[in-house]
Amino acid sequence: MTDGATIRAVVNTFVFALASVVTHIGLGMLLALGVHRTMTRGTKYFVRTAYFFPFLVSWAAVALIWKYVLDPAFGLANYYLSTTTNWLASPTWALPTLIVVDWWHTIGYTFIILLAGLQTVPAQLHEAARVDGANAWWRFWSVTLPVMSPTIFFATVITFIGAFQIFDPMVIMTQGGPDGATRSIVQYTYEKGFQSFEVGYAAALSLVLFVVIMVVTGLQFRLSRRWVHQ
Amino acid sequence: MGAPVKGKLLDLILVLGGLLMIAPLVWLIVNALSEPINAFQLPPQWIPRPPTLQNFQQVPDLIPFAQMGWNSLQIAVLTTAGALLTSALAAYAFNRLRFPGRDQIFSVLLAALVVPVQLTVVPIFIMMRWLHLVDTTVAIWLPALVNVFGIFFLRQYISSIPRELDEAAIMDGAGHFWILFRVILPLARPGLTALGIFVFEASWNNFFWPYIFLSSPEKMTLPVGLVSLQGAMGGGPAVVLFAAITLVVLPILVLFLIFQRSFIASIASTGIRA
Repeated sequence: MTDGATIRAVVNTFVFALASVVTHIGLGMLLALGVHRTMTRGTKYFVRTAYFFPFLVSWAAVALIWKYVLDPAFGLANYYLSTTTNWLASPTWALPTLIVVDWWHTIGYTFIILLAGLQTVPAQLHEAARVDGANAWWRFWSVTLPVMSPTIFFATVITFIGAFQIFDPMVIMTQGGPDGATRSIVQYTYEKGFQSFEVGYAAALSLVLFVVIMVVTGLQFRLSRRWVHQ
Repeated sequence: MGAPVKGKLLDLILVLGGLLMIAPLVWLIVNALSEPINAFQLPPQWIPRPPTLQNFQQVPDLIPFAQMGWNSLQIAVLTTAGALLTSALAAYAFNRLRFPGRDQIFSVLLAALVVPVQLTVVPIFIMMRWLHLVDTTVAIWLPALVNVFGIFFLRQYISSIPRELDEAAIMDGAGHFWILFRVILPLARPGLTALGIFVFEASWNNFFWPYIFLSSPEKMTLPVGLVSLQGAMGGGPAVVLFAAITLVVLPILVLFLIFQRSFIASIASTGIRA
């Protein structure tokens, strides 16, 4: 269990999960705040639908579409970014690229959850803070954030657990490559259990996954007492 | 800068971001509708000129698409129906009945909620091999008939339905099944809908489980079929793959546009992430 490949897979999964949580919650919050304002109905409808659409598409389809979007010869990405980077074949860029694709796929979910949380913040609280002379930033910090903290906590835990089980894009887009740069724990489990038939090794790996998820989720619940309002 | 100007600027940024989000999907559909010689051009084309359906006609030559669609549908319907039924029965028992060990059993179930499915795939694979069910659709829907999250979610939902209603039915001589199916479930309809939408969507889009259990093309579900099509094409025209993906993606997007309200409500209430 201490071979380089296992450690690499655990590190990759941690990097993926951490980046996933930060980008989903951070940008998801900005999006929710951006949409939770007075806007014309049409604009609101378009923005909400556009950001949510990718979430409806299965990972298999998402991974295949993005393989072509990222194609160095005829893909959309390189044309508009004016580069010739082979994103999925680069040891440096492959994992960050998958993080971006995952963000594209699931941000709609985080966004809707956070928007629903934002809508539960009572307008009177904002009004009261405004009367007391609090500026927009201070109102966000002292009213919105505390009231929303259970929602943010929930979204964080769910995003983390989902990211830790990541499998589909690695298998379809990179097969864990180049040179193990994108191999995740679940994918390594699959390779061991169903490709090289080391069932015991696979079982041990999935136990590692379980322990990590339990420990990190437990830690999140423990830390949550400091910042989540019950 | 005045507040209205700032607001308009923010609207513009959000709309541009939205266009960027749907760009890959538009590109998918445009290329699926293009003749192979016109597809994948640079600069990218955003309108198929001229549009053609020939790529769609070629999909069945490469994969048994209709069969795969039927498999996906069959699995999703059985999974959804089974999960709703077993969740309702168990939720009723855990909320309304009193029996020894009830709360202990329920906390064991709650622990199962945090166990990822990936953890159970190896033992279940071995079990399915004993039962000679590997590479059959049964291997996909059978383990999904009981959904721990569904039990938990419906139990919460049912606990908010007043017990006086049960008591009134008991006075009239009703049994447990009558109370559950005639009194409680009709009142729990929003909860059942929310759960049903999500179980169906998760099953329809599932890749991990069918990818491991199904290997013959005529047994595969659509997501696994798409990936196998990509493998089978070799250097073949990607437009056919794009047509197949479009056939899988478009119905879901259209369904979403129709049922958007209940769909969003379903996420906001269940918080399930497929």
